[in-house]
Amino acid sequence: MDNLYNISSCPHVRSKLTTQVVMTDVLIALLPTAILGVLFHGFQAFLVIALSMASAVATEYLFNVVTKRKQTIYDRSAMVTGLLLALTLPAQVPLYLPVLGSVFAILVVKCLFGGLGHNIMNPALTGRSFLLISFGSMMTVYSVDGVSAATPLALLAQGQTIELLPILLGNASGVIGSSALALLLGGIYLLLRGGITWEIPTSMIATTWLFLVIFGGYGFDPAYILPQLLGGGLLMAAFFMATDPVSCPSTRDGQIVFGIFAGLLIGLFRVKGASADSTTYAILLADLFGPIIDDLIIPTPFGYRIPKERKKAIPKPVIILLVITLIAGLALSGVYVMTKDTIEENKAAANKAALMQVLPEAADFTTDATLQARLDDQGDSYNPSFGGAKIQSAAVGVDASGNVVGYAVTVFNSDSYDSGLTLVVGIRADGTVNSISFTELHETAGMGMKCDEPAFKDQFNNVKVDKFILNKAGGSTADNEIDSVSGASVTSGAVVNAVNAALDFVSGVMG
Amino acid sequence: MEIKTFHGGVHPAEHKELSKESPLTPLLPKGELVYMTNQHIGKPASPVVKKGDHVLAGQLIAEAGGFVSANIVSSVSGTVKAVEPRKNASGGSAMAIVVENDGEYTLAEGVGVESDTANLSNQELLAKIQKAGIVGMGGAGFPTHVKLTVKAPEKIDYVIANGAECEPYITCDDQLMRTRSAEIVEGLEYMLRLFPNARGVVVIENNKPEAIAAMEKACQGHDRVYVQPVLTKYPQGGERSLITVITQKHLKLGMLPADAGCVVDNVGTVYAIYRAVKFNEPLMERGFTVSGDAVRNPGNFWVKIGTSHQELVDACGGFEQEPKKVLSGGPMMGFAMTGLEAPICKNNNALTCLTVDEVEIAESEMTACLRCGRCSRACPLGLSPQLMQVAAIRKDYDRYEHKLYGLDCIGCGCCTYGCPAKRPLMQLFKTTKAEIMAMKKR
Repeated sequence: MDNLYNISSCPHVRSKLTTQVVMTDVLIALLPTAILGVLFHGFQAFLVIALSMASAVATEYLFNVVTKRKQTIYDRSAMVTGLLLALTLPAQVPLYLPVLGSVFAILVVKCLFGGLGHNIMNPALTGRSFLLISFGSMMTVYSVDGVSAATPLALLAQGQTIELLPILLGNASGVIGSSALALLLGGIYLLLRGGITWEIPTSMIATTWLFLVIFGGYGFDPAYILPQLLGGGLLMAAFFMATDPVSCPSTRDGQIVFGIFAGLLIGLFRVKGASADSTTYAILLADLFGPIIDDLIIPTPFGYRIPKERKKAIPKPVIILLVITLIAGLALSGVYVMTKDTIEENKAAANKAALMQVLPEAADFTTDATLQARLDDQGDSYNPSFGGAKIQSAAVGVDASGNVVGYAVTVFNSDSYDSGLTLVVGIRADGTVNSISFTELHETAGMGMKCDEPAFKDQFNNVKVDKFILNKAGGSTADNEIDSVSGASVTSGAVVNAVNAALDFVSGVMG
Repeated sequence: MEIKTFHGGVHPAEHKELSKESPLTPLLPKGELVYMTNQHIGKPASPVVKKGDHVLAGQLIAEAGGFVSANIVSSVSGTVKAVEPRKNASGGSAMAIVVENDGEYTLAEGVGVESDTANLSNQELLAKIQKAGIVGMGGAGFPTHVKLTVKAPEKIDYVIANGAECEPYITCDDQLMRTRSAEIVEGLEYMLRLFPNARGVVVIENNKPEAIAAMEKACQGHDRVYVQPVLTKYPQGGERSLITVITQKHLKLGMLPADAGCVVDNVGTVYAIYRAVKFNEPLMERGFTVSGDAVRNPGNFWVKIGTSHQELVDACGGFEQEPKKVLSGGPMMGFAMTGLEAPICKNNNALTCLTVDEVEIAESEMTACLRCGRCSRACPLGLSPQLMQVAAIRKDYDRYEHKLYGLDCIGCGCCTYGCPAKRPLMQLFKTTKAEIMAMKKR
């Protein structure tokens, strides 16, 4: 009669919850976002999602087959990674990008580190950053309905007012999965299902908010704060990326610290950083600290905590976290205040140096009342005939004895390929262009960035014309013709328009 | 009344409906009864009878082997068939006394005779409980007289009668409270005599409204005794969870309930105290649930200690389907038995027969740890099973013991129950604890 029945250690019953269910929950939570993405970004978005998910699953399948491991694709975590990656891509990317990204995310970030549960960073986000670094230009062409446009946050950075509704619905320019409403809905679903906990999303969004209020420069102005919080992938990161249990701390206190850390980084990157992809890098950086946080912050079991009556209202972790936040905040603002004057001086010096570069004859620069008045009169752009060019400032160059030797005009042109360019044009007193210099240019390396090379920008030097013309074919002979940088006619055109706007601007005040 | 609860825990499917309404049916055993000499924590009892002796129901057959030990009586009248090692429910072998039932149930002298309780001194009260061989009937089997002998009785604030019955399937305490509520309150009053400053509280999960109502009714007119309904959640019936719910205090490693001003006893034990004090009746019967989807007619029984599990299954009409697993106790903390021959001991409260072995399924579904943290949220002690698991696998025992408080684990299995990756956490923690303890002894 012995060994009649199965023997094992208790508990003899298990919950119905499996890894598969956990992953399916994430897929369900992302469904509204994906549907709205396809709705607003078209069939191409669907292709990106399908390809990304399929190649993620295929990669894991093949890896397991080749390395003779137990097949793990049935846990559906590869599908989640594929979907997450697709939702963080622009819809117009070439179709090999989602495939490459998924292969990288699954193979390098997940499988090679030991598979599910062992990756150090979030695979989807790492896949995205891999694509960002490798294919920057394709990854930053954002569009909606097939029309490319600057993202809400890029527009916000230029001081424009943003409509909230498109951000909420997801039909603003951006990645496929950008509907704030759908992401919130999915996040709430996951919270209710226990797939994620409130700690990370709350602490992360709150910290980002606080940081932007203090350092964003607009205070509590909702016109600035709301797009910042709802757009730029913050919700996607807060509910789906940072909360990835594998790479975030596993304890409650650790998660709060993690959220605050990620929030601080996002705020810092958004306010001070140059990259539009603040969130991606902030989460990846925070992920690296996950194990350290788990190592340092271990919750005290209930029996070892100080009894309630002695500690009263505020629990200890909250106090510690508040102190950490305060210290970090004070340190940051302290550094800012201390360096503020220096920054201003440096800025002024740098500014003068930039002006000197294009107008070396000048010993100093002054302002001109007429020019200043015209500067203030501009609308959103200087004049529609010069595209998106807008005069930012104009300085009058004078020699040692105070005679006018020329003008230095700073022009911003939003028409460029990536978030606008800024250049300074030095114009001599007789209307001859002395030279131009870029103060801001974020174009594609090897293409638009070539505008900053002498071969292109020296074409303007020492030419006296009323207006330059862009020659896309190249091989120009006439003075007023500018050869376009091959493959970067948009950027080249934006530069020509900006220079022309500067010439037009000063023509009125020249003798 | 406000329903209280503790932090963490899980809520497995209750399955109590299978046997909930079945009254405690007295079961008269046939054939032999087996009394293990080690059916309590502490030293085994020493047999005082030999083969061929005639014994009466309630007669002492094995004497406590020390203070932390308990007397054992025969629950039937009959002839001692053997004094030999037998297997108990957990599969271990120990000395046992086998009595052939003569079917007469002749009581020993003095047993079941109502006595005057008003003038009992505390010592006499404790002596009666000790003589009756009462042990914790909720599962642990710790001798009750030891538990009631605390250094500073005046520092005890609560005597907790544990009627939570948080294990799935088990319903015998529910029935006991419904039908013996006045007796439980009286037993509690006897216990309160030992603790001048204590209040008696009966803790019952809110999935037993009939028991709550019955106990509340029985408490009327007893100033020192009240009922505390608690949320239905496992492991509510654990000693620590009860103390936390009632006193808001948490025990740590090495602390006893008395350190938190509590004495905790199962309602079954309280009822046994009532019988012992008022009727001089030693512990020879108890409530018992036979349940599970394999059993034809699940039900509750009032069984003689020493009855074999097989007899109880027969009393239920046998198996409807061949079970895969039979558990002594419930599915959360009970242990799997290889067969049904083992006798029922004082601390056994249920037999659960399952047609599906969920552990087998879980083992086939095990995936890598997602670090989702559900285990930490489920831990009623506030431990971090996920981190403990990593430390245990790495054999980083220093971190396991000192940083993660791993030895505090009470083995309730909440982490293991809720783990979506189906990882055998509790088993790992048990072996790790054993390994650390072994290293300390060296």
